[in-house]
Amino acid sequence: MDLKDEIQRVRLWVNQIGNFWLRLVWHFVHLLVRSWYLGVGVANVIESYLISSGLLRRYRFIDVGKLRYLAIVVESDDACQISKVIQLLQWLQAFGVKHLCLYDTEGVLKKSKESILAKLKNATLFEEADERDPLLDQKHMTLEFASITDGKEAVAKGGNLLFMKYLKLANSGAEQKEQIFTEANLTEALRAVGYGGPEPDLLLVYGPARCHLGFPAWRIRYTEIIHMGPLKSMRYGSLVKAIYKFTMVRQNYGT
Amino acid sequence: MQLPEGLRRESMPRHVAVIMDGNSRWARQRGLLTPSGHEAGLRSMKEFIKLCLQWGIKVVTVFAFSIDNWTRPKEEVDIVMTLIENLLKSGLDDFIREGTRVSIIGDTSRVPESLQRTICEIQEMTRENSKFHFIMAISYSGTYDLVEACKSVAQKVRDGVIQVEEINESVVQHELETKCSEFPCPDLLIRTSGEVRISNFLLWQSAYSELFFAKALVL
Repeated sequence: MDLKDEIQRVRLWVNQIGNFWLRLVWHFVHLLVRSWYLGVGVANVIESYLISSGLLRRYRFIDVGKLRYLAIVVESDDACQISKVIQLLQWLQAFGVKHLCLYDTEGVLKKSKESILAKLKNATLFEEADERDPLLDQKHMTLEFASITDGKEAVAKGGNLLFMKYLKLANSGAEQKEQIFTEANLTEALRAVGYGGPEPDLLLVYGPARCHLGFPAWRIRYTEIIHMGPLKSMRYGSLVKAIYKFTMVRQNYGT
Repeated sequence: MQLPEGLRRESMPRHVAVIMDGNSRWARQRGLLTPSGHEAGLRSMKEFIKLCLQWGIKVVTVFAFSIDNWTRPKEEVDIVMTLIENLLKSGLDDFIREGTRVSIIGDTSRVPESLQRTICEIQEMTRENSKFHFIMAISYSGTYDLVEACKSVAQKVRDGVIQVEEINESVVQHELETKCSEFPCPDLLIRTSGEVRISNFLLWQSAYSELFFAKALVL
């Protein structure tokens, strides 16, 4: 009995020592990983500074013409920092970005569009630009403001337009009703109900979560999505890097 | 099952979606032919599903083949279809034993007939399972999903089931292909290969999904 107890006690002791060392190893590995990410964060800040000051050659000459349409998604809480949003737009304007869409879920930016436009030189609303093709307008910076109502609700409204056409054909006994529902027709229907903005080439997300927060789904099939972090920590260098990376991308579109 | 240190059960996603991209590049990097990449991709997908099952994730949706992929060389498409069919057939016993329900979303009218039969069979045989839901998107795109949802809504209106005035985003959502799932919207959407776009996958459903773009070429 004493021997058994002794063995049991030794086993327990060995287990406890083993667990202690395992926990130590785990915390050490955790520390290494945290140090790595800290190092990466510091490197990003330094790189951002170097990009902003023009010291990194490859970021000096970027073909911004490849970026036909840019979308910016801002968390609605961050969107209240209008001065930050204006600064971001001024950076983009100076960089040569001509056409962009500003989105936040609750429409905070939509409500502030007048004050935003007032702070930018030569900026106009997307809806007021050249009707034939707003993206051809190179004189002004065009701004589109969107919110959650331009997303799923818009698809339902666009769908309604097609439903009415479908019912009309069904009631008249015509045979082509199945061809009403095509992707091209839904795109046209969205345009007809006022939700037909262009598909952004690049979407930058400013907020804590890497999530597009309900940006009009129909428009982001092949959009590059980059998470930029919270708006309050935005850096010019990170913005340039994101646009540069976009210009280097080659899409296969599934082929 | 015990979760690894650092993962909290209450924070685990209920639905994880995956875009399996990078198989061809994986094969090229190793001097192999493209089909080897697809085989490797499917093998790692099986391991991933096993892990999700163990960690209590309820739904996994995998983007196995996009509508855009039909433009790839016929030989490659045929190989992918064969691999998918073999995966479903060979996995049937495991799916049944583990209580996994299998659903296929997408325009399956375009896939080979033998795969269509396998799809019907596996969906029927696993319909009552409820422990885990594995959804495979084959010949799928988000825009196709939305257009089909609109068609379904139109038919319901024609049949008098709903009125036009009642159509809203909720009605559309309930007609999407993911209506087969208890949790149609993914909490987390992972894409491998380092590309940072969702390539027409679960467009509507991913509105509030956390997006994770992994540099790895296979899962």
